[in-house]
Amino acid sequence: MAIKKSKHFFEDELIETIGEVSEEIYEQLPNNKDLNYIGKKISRYDGYEKVSGKAKYTFDIKLPNMAYAKILRSDLPNAKIKSIDISIAKNLKGVLEILTYQNIDDIDFYGENGKLLDQHVKHEGDEVACIVAESEKIAETASKLIQVQYEKLGFSTSIEQSTRDNSVKIYDWGNIRNGKPDEYERGNVEEGFLQSDFIVEDTFTTEVVIHHPTEVHCSVVNWEGDKLIIYDSTQGIFEIKKSVSEYLKISEDKVQVIKKYMGGGFGSKLEAGKYTVLAAILSKKINRPVRLAVDRKEMSLATGNRPDSIQHLKVGVKKDGTLMAMTHEAKAAVGAYPTGGGCSWPFKQIYLCPNVKTIDFSVITNTGKARPFRAPGHVQGTFGLDSIIDDAAYKIGMDPLEFRLKNYAEKDQVWGAEYTSKLLREAYKEGAEKINWERRNKVPGSGNGFKKRGIGMATQIWWGGGGPPAHANIEIKNDGSVIVYSGTQDIGTGTYTIISQVAAEILEIPIQKIEVILGDTDKTPYGPSSGGSTTAPSISPAVRDAAEKMKRKLISASAAILNVDEKELFYSLGSVSDKSKTNKLSITEIAANLKGQKLFTEGSREENLKGYVAQTFGAQFAEVEVDTLTGFVKVLKIVAAHDIGRTLNRQTLENQFHGGIIQGLGMALMEERIMDSDFGKMLNTNLHDYKIPTMLDIPEIEVIIVSEADVKANNMGVKGIGEPAIIPTPGAISNAVYNAIGVRVKSLPITPNKILKALNS
Amino acid sequence: MKTFEYMQPENIESASKFLTKNKDSIAFAGGTDLLGLMKDDIFSPKQLVNLKKIGDLNFIKYNENEGLRIGALTKLSEIENHNIVKEKYNVLYQSIYELATPQLKNIGTLGGNICQRPRCFYFRGDYDCIRKGGDTCFAITGHNKYHCIVGGDPCYIVHPSDTAVALVALNAKFKIFDGKNEKTIPAEEFFILPNVDETKENILNSGELLTEIIIPPINNNTVSSYIKVKERGAWDFALVSIAGVFNKNDNKITDGKIVFGGVAPSPWQDKKINDNLVSFNLTQENIKKLSSLAFEKTDVLEMNEYKVTLAKNLIIKLLLETFNI
Repeated sequence: MAIKKSKHFFEDELIETIGEVSEEIYEQLPNNKDLNYIGKKISRYDGYEKVSGKAKYTFDIKLPNMAYAKILRSDLPNAKIKSIDISIAKNLKGVLEILTYQNIDDIDFYGENGKLLDQHVKHEGDEVACIVAESEKIAETASKLIQVQYEKLGFSTSIEQSTRDNSVKIYDWGNIRNGKPDEYERGNVEEGFLQSDFIVEDTFTTEVVIHHPTEVHCSVVNWEGDKLIIYDSTQGIFEIKKSVSEYLKISEDKVQVIKKYMGGGFGSKLEAGKYTVLAAILSKKINRPVRLAVDRKEMSLATGNRPDSIQHLKVGVKKDGTLMAMTHEAKAAVGAYPTGGGCSWPFKQIYLCPNVKTIDFSVITNTGKARPFRAPGHVQGTFGLDSIIDDAAYKIGMDPLEFRLKNYAEKDQVWGAEYTSKLLREAYKEGAEKINWERRNKVPGSGNGFKKRGIGMATQIWWGGGGPPAHANIEIKNDGSVIVYSGTQDIGTGTYTIISQVAAEILEIPIQKIEVILGDTDKTPYGPSSGGSTTAPSISPAVRDAAEKMKRKLISASAAILNVDEKELFYSLGSVSDKSKTNKLSITEIAANLKGQKLFTEGSREENLKGYVAQTFGAQFAEVEVDTLTGFVKVLKIVAAHDIGRTLNRQTLENQFHGGIIQGLGMALMEERIMDSDFGKMLNTNLHDYKIPTMLDIPEIEVIIVSEADVKANNMGVKGIGEPAIIPTPGAISNAVYNAIGVRVKSLPITPNKILKALNS
Repeated sequence: MKTFEYMQPENIESASKFLTKNKDSIAFAGGTDLLGLMKDDIFSPKQLVNLKKIGDLNFIKYNENEGLRIGALTKLSEIENHNIVKEKYNVLYQSIYELATPQLKNIGTLGGNICQRPRCFYFRGDYDCIRKGGDTCFAITGHNKYHCIVGGDPCYIVHPSDTAVALVALNAKFKIFDGKNEKTIPAEEFFILPNVDETKENILNSGELLTEIIIPPINNNTVSSYIKVKERGAWDFALVSIAGVFNKNDNKITDGKIVFGGVAPSPWQDKKINDNLVSFNLTQENIKKLSSLAFEKTDVLEMNEYKVTLAKNLIIKLLLETFNI
């Protein structure tokens, strides 16, 4: 073990970390077909608890003498509080305490752009006060009794409004984050366009979409003396520990964060929310446990979203299909507090092109702050990119798939790094075969009848290699049972299950013998936040490291027990024996001999290979049927073919792909935040009006994994799959719609009104 | 939701009397719409009058001479699964099939579906809109993709009920009880436009209850169908829907009736279309011509012009699919 500084991608950000890494070098495991647990369809470790209702989610946690908090939120998009009167609310029976900007410590939030409770509210849903009471109902009733006088300010809720000449300045420094766009350039695009035979140029737009995980954001907090215990529905227990201690200005050691089960996050639960900090302050004040859960309307307004995009794209291409130059200029509404909304990464990375320029503006608006959402930027960016690439292919009369193969990048184009592996060609080939690509309309829109079918595809690139620090410890108890501890968390993706598989595989014991404990900052060693498709590739190698070390420790213990040299012993199927097998000790027997001492090993993720970048690749192919009389798009089939390294669990892998594809389908065809521009308020704040796919919208989905193990990625050969699953879905569906009707709908979601308009034009 | 009293009258007379006397009370059938409105504080009744204890409003009766009679408290799923409805009244069956999720149909009633309130964002949100007694229809300058293209002034809601569209097409009659007397009126006279009263969608006054839906018998030459265009596969209200009931003879419609949903604050008929259905020759060319006659006069808003195209297209789709052309 050694402490190292290393870098890897988390979401779309290259992060630098310092931490302990494993220096052990292990042979790559055999292919999945020769393994017992890895790669198989193993039922979920926590499946029984979940389906039987025994699993306690944060939302379900009840502590003795617990009080309930609710947040009063602004119903105006931009306003200063002139006065706030809590006297009537405070007198309501059962109300315990009320926090407002007037009686709370001055705590910065969102960098220095706001306060925990701020006199200036910058979007509908911004926090105004927090009430704690004997019941949630009382807290809610009290929130309506608080009298707030506002000074209404002008507002902007869209990219257009925020970037006009006379637009309202939301901050003194303006409405563009950092005052300027994020830019990237390689080669010389002007020259590239001059060398092109054709230039294709167009504008594509996507709408703001909301994460809406099944479990709402919530925290249950309690102080035990000066120690704060937080049960939180979070994607990162250590992140919450760190940031809550900073907000409260207490030692990190005085904060414990626990999360056992979670109903999804999709990126919206990566950062600490104001609700957690407010609950902690209230809990301290009233000296009781406090629960604060937001409702679906608050989820719509104030717990994050995927920014919209207006992407102006231009592509120069030679007659033979060689891409010569590409430019991307995009704007995204990131909400009232600065954060990144760029979507140009796929544009820089996927297709081979010497001359590329990208410009991304993150535009401030009086709407809820954006947060990372399952492949931030990539989903909207890939929709734009693969639309213009499709257009370019049709323009020069080339098969769109052949066009993509013609511009295949063997190496990373941004840093010049080698890929640990890239099996995109294989993904194209197998995906095309499965969808039967040749059935597509060679001339888009050429099908007969009112119902027209079409086939389209799009490419996926993402990181997902993970990296250190990520730790897992293994303990063997006196009865021989095995426990794996890791400070990562299972956000619903199956982390418990894959950890038990890796431990069982390496220790060669039945999977039922493995217990997995995750999600407790006091009990488990540091694990990274569950985001960026990094959990499996960061944690599974650490589990392997701990298990391999445990095997050696078991040999060492056996040597001592048997009075023989370690070299004469070997480990197999949960036992240590010598070659003749006359001396043989099972794990249980070894443990029993240790008289109360437990066997314990610490495993860590190794460093990533220098000079390489681990990325995931894939292609999705969609077949759709468009009713040209009604404008309704029915997705018939999605084939998803991906290079994601080694499959750990075929069942949870398929679940992840289904989830990602369905979420992508929602964004492609129906999901959008609807704003009223007169009032600056969101109109569809419930799950009926905010339309997510229903069972009837879900097509046949076929998942093909073209990779065996990415041996250069890590000791397990694993890459992440959470985000790759969603990235190409909207682009593939949109290209299939174009192939069906011969007119391109350039704005998501592709709703019937847009199809009818396109067909009429 | 604010606190309320829960009343459980055992017969329709006492329910009706109570509702007449207590202006802040409201009738409660399946509750799939009402409870949502109450939770969002759009309505805060002092008393909720549960109708479900009234036993004799839950029935489906069929007789070849009199047709189909359905009690207003009959659950939508029971009607959907009724053999006679499936066999003879396809338009009604399809309108229920399309209208919601199984969970909602298992609790929602036919009477409640007909009397449900509009889905307009402004009506259901924190806006003092004209339908709630204010003086502005915010949809006119606001988000109006889902609003009406005809019959709107001064409130541009669309009537949300699928069954209402099918029942008007079937020439159904509605029985109304006012506490003392019963009257039966044609379904199409039940619904009113905002220029009559912008605060309600039908003629019912407080204390009046819709008790029964009577659908005339159907002869062997009658075919009927309902098509609903939504933005997703299930659990969505119509962008535009269309119901058609036709009598046919060989390749000819002898007479028929087409009714639209999602285009107006009530189920909507285009007189020109229905007049043209008399002795209508079912050719592709005629169908296209018929479609082009529809919706001559509309009052479209910024985002809903597509509904004109959609409604016209649905005439074509309805006839092509109903008659397998």
